[in-house]
Amino acid sequence: MTLLETENLVKEFGGLVATDDVNLTVEEDERVSIIGPNGAGKSTLINLITRRLDPTSGDIRFKGESIVGLEPHQVVQRGVSKSFQTASIFPDLTVRENAEIAALAAERGAFGFEFLKHRDSLTDVHGVARDTLDSVGLLDRADTIATDLPYGDKRRLEIGIALASEPDLLLMDEPTAGMSPEETKSTVDLIERVKRDHGLTFVLVEHDMEIVFSISDRIVVLSRGGIIAEGTPDEIRGNEAVQEAYLGGVEL
Amino acid sequence: MSLLSDVLVILLNGLQQGAIYVLLAVGLSIIVGTLKFVNFAHGALYLVGTYAGLFVALNVPLSNGKLAEWGFSSFGLDIGFFAALIFVPLFVFGVGLLMERYLARAFYDRPDTDQILVTFGLAIVVQELFRVLFGSNSLPFEQPERILSFGSFAGLPVSGPIALPIVGNFPQWRLWVIGITAVLVALVYLLVEYTDFGLVVRAGTRDAEMVRLLGIKITRPYIVVFGIGAALAGVAGVVGGPLNVVNPTIGTNILVPAFLTVVIGGVGSIAGAVLGGIVFGLTTAALVSFAPAWSQVGLYAIAAIVLLTRPQGLLGDEEVTP
Amino acid sequence: MSEKDANPSAKDALVGGTLFGRWEKLRGREGTVVGITAILVAVFPYLFARAPVVSGFLQGYQSLATLILIWGIFAIGFDLLLGYTGLLSFGHAAFWGGAAYAAGIVAKNVSGDPIVMVVSGTLFAVLLAWVLGFLSLRRGGIYFSILTLAFAQMFYYMAASPLAFLTNGENGLTGVEVGSFLGVIHLEADVPSIGGMLLGTWLYAFVGVFFVGAVAVAYRILNSPYGMVFRAIRENEQRAEFVGLNVWRYKLMAFIISGGFAGVAGSLFTIHGAYVPLQSLFWTESGDIVVMTVLGGAGSMFGPVLGVGLYLYIENIVSTIQALTIPFTGIVLVRDFGFYWHLLLGVVFVVVVWVVPDGLWGILNRLRELAVDLGSKAAKRLRARSENGGGGQ
Repeated sequence: MTLLETENLVKEFGGLVATDDVNLTVEEDERVSIIGPNGAGKSTLINLITRRLDPTSGDIRFKGESIVGLEPHQVVQRGVSKSFQTASIFPDLTVRENAEIAALAAERGAFGFEFLKHRDSLTDVHGVARDTLDSVGLLDRADTIATDLPYGDKRRLEIGIALASEPDLLLMDEPTAGMSPEETKSTVDLIERVKRDHGLTFVLVEHDMEIVFSISDRIVVLSRGGIIAEGTPDEIRGNEAVQEAYLGGVEL
Repeated sequence: MSLLSDVLVILLNGLQQGAIYVLLAVGLSIIVGTLKFVNFAHGALYLVGTYAGLFVALNVPLSNGKLAEWGFSSFGLDIGFFAALIFVPLFVFGVGLLMERYLARAFYDRPDTDQILVTFGLAIVVQELFRVLFGSNSLPFEQPERILSFGSFAGLPVSGPIALPIVGNFPQWRLWVIGITAVLVALVYLLVEYTDFGLVVRAGTRDAEMVRLLGIKITRPYIVVFGIGAALAGVAGVVGGPLNVVNPTIGTNILVPAFLTVVIGGVGSIAGAVLGGIVFGLTTAALVSFAPAWSQVGLYAIAAIVLLTRPQGLLGDEEVTP
Repeated sequence: MSEKDANPSAKDALVGGTLFGRWEKLRGREGTVVGITAILVAVFPYLFARAPVVSGFLQGYQSLATLILIWGIFAIGFDLLLGYTGLLSFGHAAFWGGAAYAAGIVAKNVSGDPIVMVVSGTLFAVLLAWVLGFLSLRRGGIYFSILTLAFAQMFYYMAASPLAFLTNGENGLTGVEVGSFLGVIHLEADVPSIGGMLLGTWLYAFVGVFFVGAVAVAYRILNSPYGMVFRAIRENEQRAEFVGLNVWRYKLMAFIISGGFAGVAGSLFTIHGAYVPLQSLFWTESGDIVVMTVLGGAGSMFGPVLGVGLYLYIENIVSTIQALTIPFTGIVLVRDFGFYWHLLLGVVFVVVVWVVPDGLWGILNRLRELAVDLGSKAAKRLRARSENGGGGQ
């Protein structure tokens, strides 16, 4: 089944075309990586899908229904979750509370009127939060204030928050950016494990080719806003257009 | 009195009223737009401008407050209004530089609410300081008779009525206020649109991060932007002084209309601030003539309508989430 | 600070066992908080206005005690918005003053029953908060503060002139006659016997019940899903949206709830004074609640109440002293204090925002933690010494 689909998606900033007629499909249970040189429009594409940006034209469909016109939180409620490039967490709350907030949104919806209900009674939320923290390996640090975590753990928590939203599709924007080699390795292990345990569909934006080629089912190559190639890791490795884009371009 | 002349009088009064808002709003707008700094003490700069203008231009007797208690029976250099128009903006420019350097800069990286809170606190401190020194009562700020009088040159008459076609007699000083404002705003506009300094300001308004990445040292333009904004508030204080009462609360009272002018015009847009100021001025003037009870309410009603229909302001760019 | 007040669960595991730990656990429980609040409310006017020695030193009086509780309710609600959700409103005078007028107008035209007055004032404030919140939250960040300020000012000017037939304009709403509670109890009468010694008037008891209720409701809200979401919005609004929360509606709810608290307080203010000054709608009232909340400590349950107490105490009692001296000494800090107090308050406010954003409550908390820390270190050292065999130097 096709989970995500963009149709002739275009985004212009002033005169600059950041996303140029992109037709992207992601099937259920697929692991897709989006790569491309700096400024190729990877983050813009992610931001369009999460509704952080409005497309200039074109359509985005999730599970067959258009999500253009929805608010970001509605997209999340439909089942698209995103982990940010930086550790976007709730710094002064505990690790547990960080996960609970995401779980609350997943279990109880975008909004409710339960302002006189004690949160100790939200057993479903506590359960989801605990399971998530367990799967990202932060359960033993659940009572730590998030800002006191080392950077690598903050990024783990960031991924944990995205997972606690119980997504069908997880968009990961450079999950290893700014990490040390060890942190990168443990994050890759985490992604592998999540992939195995949760059977999650995800779209990964990543610079590190080693990671991309090791964990993707399919790779989509963007350059100057448009898709120039897509295929299995092996197909992409030998693709001339891709080499041209990376090696013949201004940078690299 | 014909209907046409009534309308023209309202127009002129509206422009004069709007001029003060424009001077404050242009300064606020470039500060908020470029520095992303919310200055609730902008009205305090207006207050400082008014009292400084009074001090330079005239010599008024003091009867209240600590200064009087300490034996100062009067206050002022009495060297004329034109001198005030020159010296006060320079002085308030300096105050602005100090404010940027020692207050604002410590708060650029702190949440908006902290910026608002600390400048609000500063506004209280300034207001109370003036209350302590000069008392709560109003001081007389007479309209200047003439400006630019040197030795044998009698100067230009600026007070009293002037005969205009159709309108008939109109207080001359109000036209001067409109004129001075127009010249100053035009200067700021040229500065921002056509100089390298302005380029940095405009780029900073759009994307401060980008300017920083391009390696332009942004601290200096920042402090100058703050100074210019402050100087404009100072001018507003000087030219507005003779038109309104002068007491320690004028700064905080004018802050709300000034901010609203910025918001309905569109933050960071000089043209927007001018348009917003004119809209407010005209609305107030019209309501004063036709429905005086509603004259103060109208301004807020207009703001509500604009924000409901165009949240980014009349001439503001649509907000782009970075 | 706040986290510890509102979230005992995290701390439980750590402290446990010891006497102090048991107290910590108890302290976090809802019933304990409400119970202690009730006790404090009951003894406050006695200590403040009637107790030997203490009250002589404090120079408090009954009516000020009532006023402190009223503003305290206002501050607790305001802090839900500022301290917990991170939204700085400069327009809460509209809800405080609006409710005060609504309660007064209802009393004059419909019924002077105090309950009817509180209900109608609060309802009015809630509806108004819904409308103003809807308008002001359309633009985020800095615009929110400016817009709330602007719309509140609009109501001030409306009450001043076009609506003067209802509000009595500049003179304020006079001639409000507050009826008796349940038709039998006159609020200005003293509570009989021991209750009278503690509480003083029925009015204080009436207000006190609302205050304890406000604490209970606020505490419950902070421990509900809303409390979690509010803090999430304060910490990282974008992330909250991207976990699938409708941030806009939660913010609106925070605004309405805090407007409701301001409404209860405003209505009680009318009952307390039987008069509504036009000033109660002016933006300086909004400024006052901001100052009180931040001075006391935004983001904590009782910090703002402390701020209220301090502010009103200085405004009404300390400001009447000619020279501010250091207690029990003859050293004069400020001569002519009544003249300078507002200026000094402004300076203190700036310093607090700059240096200790968690206010007085934050300072007290840090002192308490320091004491606990020193205590446990001393205990450890003692234990170590005894393990070393009663150790000499």
